[in-house]
Amino acid sequence: MNAKNSTKPEAGPEGFAFPPLWPHTVLAPGLAGAAVLATLLTPPAVDVALALVAGAICIGSALTLARRIRRGEGELREMDLRLLHSQKLAAIGELSSGIAHEINNPLAIITQELDLAREITADCQGLSDEDLSDARDSLREIAKQVDRCRQITHKLLNFARKMEPVLQEEALEQVIEDMALLVEKEAQGRGVAIARDYAPDLPHVRTDVPLLRQVILNLLTNALHATPPGGTITLLTRRADGQVSIAVRDTGCGIAPENMEKIFDPFFTTKEPGKGTGLGLSVSHGIVARLGGSLAATSRPGQGATFTVTLPL
Amino acid sequence: MADPIRVCIVDDEERFRDTLAKLLSRHGFSVRTAGGGQEALELLAQAPSDVIVLDVKMPGLSGEQALPLLRAACPEAEVLVLTGHASVDIASAMIAGGAADYLLKPCPTEELEGAIRAVYDRRQATRPR
Ligand SMILES: Nc1ncnc2c1ncn2[C@@H]1O[C@H](COP(=O)(O)OP(=O)(O)O)[C@@H](O)[C@H]1O
Ligand SMILES: [Mg+2]
Repeated sequence: MNAKNSTKPEAGPEGFAFPPLWPHTVLAPGLAGAAVLATLLTPPAVDVALALVAGAICIGSALTLARRIRRGEGELREMDLRLLHSQKLAAIGELSSGIAHEINNPLAIITQELDLAREITADCQGLSDEDLSDARDSLREIAKQVDRCRQITHKLLNFARKMEPVLQEEALEQVIEDMALLVEKEAQGRGVAIARDYAPDLPHVRTDVPLLRQVILNLLTNALHATPPGGTITLLTRRADGQVSIAVRDTGCGIAPENMEKIFDPFFTTKEPGKGTGLGLSVSHGIVARLGGSLAATSRPGQGATFTVTLPL
Repeated sequence: MADPIRVCIVDDEERFRDTLAKLLSRHGFSVRTAGGGQEALELLAQAPSDVIVLDVKMPGLSGEQALPLLRAACPEAEVLVLTGHASVDIASAMIAGGAADYLLKPCPTEELEGAIRAVYDRRQATRPR
C-alpha cells in the first residue's frame, strides 16, 4: 500500500515534486525482514548467502532512500526561501506603488504652485501688491510640500532600511523621559497632562536606544494628536516573565473597531491630507519586531487608546 | 464674450483646490470648490456646473461613490477625474460610470485646462442647446 502511494511523486505546494521514494520504501524494510527470516528458517549453508544478498540490497535501498529524502528536503527549503523572497518582493512592490500614490498628491500641489508663481512673475513690471504676496505665498507653499515629500520618503527609508540594531544597556525610564520631555511643552500648550507610572527598580534594558526612542516618540505624538484638552497621557512601565513593557495610554478619541486591523498598515491614516503620513505605527511596529519585541494596541472608542511595547529583558 | 465655463473642483486637499481655483479663475473660468462629494452635491443643488473635476480618494463620500450621485444631481455636467491614484481598475470603472476623462496628478495646469475645454467642447457638440 505504501508502494501504490509512492508510485506518484508526492507533490508539494506550487508544483514542487518530492523525488520518488518507491520502490525503496518497500525494498529496505522488506529485505531487512527477509534477511532475518532467512537466517532463522533456512539451513546454515544457505542462510548466510541469502542474508548477505538481502542485507546488501537492503543497505543499498536504505542509502538511496536517505539520499532522496535529503535531496527532497533541500529542495523544499530552497522553495521556502524562494517563496519568502517573492512575498517580500510583492510587499516591496505594494509599498512602492503606495509611495508613488502618496507622493503624487504633494507633487500635484507643487506643480500648481509653480505654475501660478511662474505666471505671476512672467511679467514683473506690472506686479501688483496682491500678485507679489500671491507669488511669495506660492513659493512658501512649494517649500512646504517638498518637505512633505521628504518626510514620506525619509520615514519610508527608515522602514526599508535593513539596519542591524546596535544594542546598549540603558535605563528604560531614561529613554522614555527623554521623549516625554520633547513633547511635554506641546502637550501643556494643548492642555494635555503627561502622567508617569513607572515600575520601581526595573533592570536596565539591552536595546537599540535611538530606535526605541523613535518608537516612543511616535506613540507619544499619536496620543497627543488624539487627546483633547483636559485629557491625560500616561506613561507606564511594567515587568513580567523576563519581559518589560512600556505602555502609552491616552484619554483621547480612541480607535474605531473597524480601523483596529489597519492602524499598523503603511499609509493608513485617519488624519487630514498633509497632517498624517500613516507611517508612524508601521515603522514602529517594524522597529519593535527588529528589537525582538512586540507592539500591540487596545482601545475603547471614545475613551482612549493604549499602545504597549513589550521587549525581552 | 462667451459665458465662462463653470467648473466645480471636488478635492479633499484644500490647498490643491484653492490654487487650482485661483489658476482657472485667472484663465477665465468660473470656479467653485468642494472639499468632498457631499459638499459638491450641495453646491450643484444651488447651481449647475459645466465640468466637475473630481478626486477619487476622499474621506466621506469617495469619488467613486460620488460619481453616480453627481451625475444624477447635475446631468448636464461632464465629470473629469483627477487623482494621484493610478489604477486601471478605478479608471475603467469611473469611465464606465460616465466620467468623461481620467487624469493623473500631478498634472500641469495647461494640460488640465486643455482637458476641461475638450470635455466641455465635446459636450457642446453632442448636446446642442
Ligand atoms: N493614540 C491613538 N488614539 C487614536 N487613534 C490612533 C492613536 N494612534 C494611532 N491612531 C490611529 O492610527 C492611525 C495611524 O497612525 P500612524 O501610523 O502613526 O500614522 P499618522 O499618525 O500619520 O496618521 C492614525 O491616523 C489614527 O487613526
Ligand atoms: Mg503618527
